[in-house]
Amino acid sequence: MSKRTETKAGTVSRRAFLGGGATVVAMFALDAAPGSKMARAIAASLPADTAGGAVNGWILINADNSVSIAFGGAEMGQGILTGLAQAAAEELMVAWSQVRTQVAPTSQSYITGGSFGIRANFQKMRIAGAQARGVLLAAAAATWGVDASACTVSDGVITNAVTSATLTYAQVAKSAAALTPPAAPTLTDASKFRMVGRSMARLDLPSKVDGSAVFGIDVRVPGMLYAAVKNCPTIGGTLARTPATPSGVIAVVPLGNAVAVVASNTWAAFKAASSLSVAWTIPTAAAQLTTSTISSQAQTLMATGTAGSPAAERVGDAPGAYGAATTRIESTYQLPYLPHVCMEVLNCTASVTPTSCEVWVPTQAASWVQATAMAITGLPASAVTVHPTLLGGGLGRKIEQDYVSQAITVSKAVGKPVKLTWRREEDLSHDQYRPMGLVRVRLGADGGGRLTSIATRTVAPSPLAQRGWMAPTGNDNVEGAEGLPYAAANRLVEYVKHPAAVPVGFWRSVGNSINCFAVESAVDELAVALKQDPLAYRRSLLAGDPRTLAVLDRAAADIGWSTVPAKGVARGIAISNGFGSIVALAVEVSQPTVGVMKVNRVACAVDCGLAVNPGQVESQMQGGIIQGIGTAFWGQTTFSKGVASSRNFSNTRMLLMKETPSITVSILQSGLESLGGIGEVAVPPTAPALANAWFKLTGTRMRSLPFFPGANRMDD
Amino acid sequence: MENSRKAAPRVGKNSRFGRMPHLRYRPSPPRSVPSDGDRNPRGYRMTAMSYNVNGKTYQFDADPGMPLLWVIRDIIGLTGTKYGCGVEICKACTVWIDGSPEKSCDMNASEGVGRKITTIEGLSATPVGVRLQKAFIDCQAPQCGYCQSGMLMAAAKLVTSKSKPTDTQIDSALGNICACGTYPRVKQAIKSATGQPT
Repeated sequence: MSKRTETKAGTVSRRAFLGGGATVVAMFALDAAPGSKMARAIAASLPADTAGGAVNGWILINADNSVSIAFGGAEMGQGILTGLAQAAAEELMVAWSQVRTQVAPTSQSYITGGSFGIRANFQKMRIAGAQARGVLLAAAAATWGVDASACTVSDGVITNAVTSATLTYAQVAKSAAALTPPAAPTLTDASKFRMVGRSMARLDLPSKVDGSAVFGIDVRVPGMLYAAVKNCPTIGGTLARTPATPSGVIAVVPLGNAVAVVASNTWAAFKAASSLSVAWTIPTAAAQLTTSTISSQAQTLMATGTAGSPAAERVGDAPGAYGAATTRIESTYQLPYLPHVCMEVLNCTASVTPTSCEVWVPTQAASWVQATAMAITGLPASAVTVHPTLLGGGLGRKIEQDYVSQAITVSKAVGKPVKLTWRREEDLSHDQYRPMGLVRVRLGADGGGRLTSIATRTVAPSPLAQRGWMAPTGNDNVEGAEGLPYAAANRLVEYVKHPAAVPVGFWRSVGNSINCFAVESAVDELAVALKQDPLAYRRSLLAGDPRTLAVLDRAAADIGWSTVPAKGVARGIAISNGFGSIVALAVEVSQPTVGVMKVNRVACAVDCGLAVNPGQVESQMQGGIIQGIGTAFWGQTTFSKGVASSRNFSNTRMLLMKETPSITVSILQSGLESLGGIGEVAVPPTAPALANAWFKLTGTRMRSLPFFPGANRMDD
Repeated sequence: MENSRKAAPRVGKNSRFGRMPHLRYRPSPPRSVPSDGDRNPRGYRMTAMSYNVNGKTYQFDADPGMPLLWVIRDIIGLTGTKYGCGVEICKACTVWIDGSPEKSCDMNASEGVGRKITTIEGLSATPVGVRLQKAFIDCQAPQCGYCQSGMLMAAAKLVTSKSKPTDTQIDSALGNICACGTYPRVKQAIKSATGQPT
């Protein structure tokens, strides 16, 4: 806990949280990603008076001796509320049944993304828990007039070892709160963890099985109106004039590139928005935003485009080694724009008055919401209150501010609280998509089959550049291409920025989902060219990386790689290193009818250092694989003159339960010191593992995603 | 599981987090909606209706063409039933109408009159619902949780009619879309709730 934290906490935050018989005994500041490119981008994007560093977490002792652990961070299904609470509760030495947790009502939340939740904050939560325990013990010791070393604690009850007298945390909380927390408290040795490393029951689930969980879309503010938006169907288009207010509608609010309709309920707003006749001004450049044009531009850029400088990774002389190689593979892989498809559509509730602004919103970036509100209302930070809610999925989409600024603008215009909701059709056709990509991989091997060079060249639009977060000659979308575990003396990772103006953003696993498909497919192609088994060949390249090798071996063992598969079944394998974790997937596929792929079985192995909650690690692997299969099969948004193809689930097919294969997950633990992220890592290796298995089965190499674009329809 | 139930991050009257919507903006109590200027602007067809939802009677005025989903969410104020697509595909909006699972996004308000409507908020009143809710928690099925109301309503109906549903029967009854990919654990929960090996 920094000095700055304690100063600030002592003035504002502690007061805000006191009351109701609860006492704050520790405060802390969680980060998105200390020191990372993301953290710098976040800091640069915030106005000075909302910059990070302030307290955004609290430990409170309640009157009933339960403990509330609250912090700013987005719970979007990944279980972060539970995982970080485990870390604090471990050190607090309370029983799990005593633990409460929730998203704190703070706009100082850390930006939830990059799979940083646990790996950036696990240690801070432990320290906060230990500091809380420290002051509680000290307060009890002072009450008894003994040294704290003469006291023990169990389940939130402190025992005087000499007299056997006991005091609960609740009984000493008030005096503990006045004490200075130990700066460097002793932490529990990892070998003695009782909660960390166990599948503690998620604290948010009871509310998710009885309808009481409050997502953003469920917020109801007294006197609120309901708004729906019609975004300009064409990218870059703007409102030519504000349409007249139709009957049955309270107001129509112009929003630049969209128009909002305000009504007395969601359905009336939806109906009016979808039938509203709007005149748009369409820029001529929109005609270029057609998928075939974007693809041919990518081909040109692949051949002649200028790569980011310096290259994302350059070791040795990859072109030279490739030229001298005995066996060469050059393959180019194509990937589409992808929508995020959160089950909870974008929505935001805002209440703007001349002197205040309150926002209730499912967001991955509450501090950005505050900045957005300040920019629109002109109010100071102190007049803006952000209430982050639970998220019905985030996947990177709910870090954006488009829907937030719309809601705030509409509330300001009508002078009443407004809940603004996007119809599913708007949500899918106005996403900030995973960038399309064209990736060329060149692999060279010597006469002994040893890999001598890896060169990747990724052409893709840049989310960073679109936000002004990257120098014109910078690199983006290189995750999954840089830092590969395979031994190769010569490496080159290039990025060429595609200028297409389709809005792109951060999609679960960012560049990894693009490059892993290309690299892991190409490595398979090289193994085939060398007449080697794909697993054995990968093993030969990983001799110097025992951690990755162990993960690969485990997935292979779990699928039974050494056995002969059933007739009509073939296996494929792929690995991915990202977010500090390693994942290997081995899959079995079959072809029930010609041209149709069935995924029979998936064996996943993962090493995230320490699995704080193994059950949740397994859930994230299962979910990532399921999303990975669905998007590999059918996921894409195409564009015609700036208009997105995605409409609803009718043409955005999702994997269903009946199509979900058996998935096993093995968790390898290499230790606390190599703690990695878990929310995104299962997605990237799924598509290449399937493509590799399909090649083995059919002899057809699928280098373009999605595999089955023509089968993307769903019916009721 | 009793403990984790108590540990739900609900914010009640005693909460410190008084500024959270969970506290101040719980779903509104049942009420009769007045036909004031805002609620009934010119040209808006309003009809007085009465619903039976989870055993309670609700009187309100609504456009008979409004989907039942939005009557439940916006007028009655039970927000556990979710909007996902509005076109009867994702099944997040599943409720029971006279005991049978239906997609509420494509039923008109008038179709709910005189029917017995059960939503996720009423599931706890049924033994099979309680059993499934417990199994969903025991198996740690939900992730983001958004689609789980629809999943549970479909699952509860299945388990009511089939005491030991097979994998195929579960697959067939639960065509709900889940973007988090909770399918394996949802299936495990249904089998666990019906005393089958998982």
